[in-house]
Amino acid sequence: MTNPPTPSGPRGDAGPAVEVRGLRRTYGTGPRAFEAVRGVDLTVARGTVTALLGTNGAGKTSTLEVVEGLARASAGEVRVLGLDPVADRAEVRRRTGVLLQRSGFSGDLTVVETLRMWAATVSDPRGVDESLAMLDLAGRADVRVAGLSGGEQRRLDLAMTLMGRPELVFLDEPSTGLDPESRRGVWLLVEQLVAQGATVLLTTHYLEEAERLAEHVAIMDAGRIVREGTQAEIVAGHPSEIRFETLPVGTATLPDLRGARVSTDGAWTVVRTPDLQATLTALLGWAAAEDVVLPALGARTASLESVFLEVADGTAADTAADPAPTATPTDETLEVVR
Amino acid sequence: MSSTDTSAGTSAGTARSGARSTSYARVRGLAAANLKLQLRNRLTAAYALVLPLLPLALLLTGDRGDDTAVLFGVNYALILVMMFPAYYNLLSATVTRRDELVLKRLRTGETTDAELLASLALPGAGIGLALAVLAVPVAMALGAPFPTNPVLYLLGVAVSLVLFAALAFWTAAWTRNAEAAQMTSLPVIMLAVVGGMGELLPERAARLVELTPGAALEQVVAVGWIGRTPDLTGTVDFAQSWAQAGQPLLVMAVWTALALVLARRSMRWEPRH
Repeated sequence: MTNPPTPSGPRGDAGPAVEVRGLRRTYGTGPRAFEAVRGVDLTVARGTVTALLGTNGAGKTSTLEVVEGLARASAGEVRVLGLDPVADRAEVRRRTGVLLQRSGFSGDLTVVETLRMWAATVSDPRGVDESLAMLDLAGRADVRVAGLSGGEQRRLDLAMTLMGRPELVFLDEPSTGLDPESRRGVWLLVEQLVAQGATVLLTTHYLEEAERLAEHVAIMDAGRIVREGTQAEIVAGHPSEIRFETLPVGTATLPDLRGARVSTDGAWTVVRTPDLQATLTALLGWAAAEDVVLPALGARTASLESVFLEVADGTAADTAADPAPTATPTDETLEVVR
Repeated sequence: MSSTDTSAGTSAGTARSGARSTSYARVRGLAAANLKLQLRNRLTAAYALVLPLLPLALLLTGDRGDDTAVLFGVNYALILVMMFPAYYNLLSATVTRRDELVLKRLRTGETTDAELLASLALPGAGIGLALAVLAVPVAMALGAPFPTNPVLYLLGVAVSLVLFAALAFWTAAWTRNAEAAQMTSLPVIMLAVVGGMGELLPERAARLVELTPGAALEQVVAVGWIGRTPDLTGTVDFAQSWAQAGQPLLVMAVWTALALVLARRSMRWEPRH
């Protein structure tokens, strides 16, 4: 990549780039109706990256499509750059760029023909050569799109998204299908977009992507946002985790690990604690004193991934309702072999 | 991707001028791409450019300047124009672009739905109109007279092009994929060709057939080109031709309005899941 995009910067309304209140989206009617989005509230500040996380079917794309103005909400209110994405469609589209989760191209057009065609539909477009260079496609300019790899097609898609120098960019799983190098290139591009004043709302399955790019994270589950805030806010209060292979039945039980919750999950024993250092110290001290080996011992601080996985496992609600974990083994009494 | 040169990103070349794209520029850009795609595909190119001209060879048969041969040749050339570049190619392109999510992608930009539809229909309509114009010198070289009312002739062609484009969008709505278009297109193709079968049918059926788009176009050609009444029993001059073409033009208008309403109500931009 060479040239990053230059958004024109916020114009007009100085409020949030995106504001969603009570958004609902229902597919179908009657007894077969399915509510994919169930009352989402979301605010995206200007000049920031917000990541919308969630498992498949959580409602991320359904939410994004309404915000992009591609679908109508069943209920609720959406403002994009202070405008209604449906009623003020022309103005919103001129100032935004959209990368769909899945989209297509006419395979018989070349890369450069595709970009020229798109440029004809964009206000004040970036030059085709600039777009090609930006996404490292200059060497593939005369190749028909059908001959591109999946990753190259994704980059072409991104070049189209950024061609109009949007001040607000919607990226639905932008790095899906990209190799690690291309993925890092996209991340760099997003960081430069934001450095120049653009706002980015993205969905992703890659937690590493969200951790690297997003100041603000919203985690969706079953059509609702179940966690929202900065990464630090989301992780705060979430327990760190120590895990080791469950010890065979023996004679001794684990010590009193104050403030920690111990559970077994098949072959693994998991200790969740709000104070990783104290709990780990106590556990290792006990192991040394008792001459116990803790097989495959591992410890990790609370992370976006651990919060996300708990949401995905459907356990987040429990954790949220019980922020101060109980002490000592609760699920099962654990025994150790000396 | 290679590493990014951040300094280049703030070059003057990337500054936004504020110029807005126009509806004309968007439709022109997309239609040009659609035309290129249509001509790159050998089958659709042959359907669009070669097939409709073949009936004009009928003018080589029979007496030079024979009105019936002119009517037959020109009429079938126009019917093929409606069936292939205006209808079938458009149906196929719409279904393919929809299933490949091209239409969905294009809808994320500044292009409006109406512009998108216009850009899809324009290549076929343009080719159709060009062939209709080209048919005049070709037919004249083969002995046909200059059209009695060329404006009426081109008006009939233009309205028919809009009608068959709308029918293509409507058919696309209930066509599952491009292969299925070979079957789902049959009813409309019948509507186009059945007009020429009136003489073979019982009187009551023949009257109904006169109300089809293909028959209406044939009648406009009879009035507008060879200067005959729609039933071919009398002759008309330029001024009389407008009145004589009233009924077939009305039939076309009703069909066009119906097709536009159906297309508008049923248009799908994404494949069914």
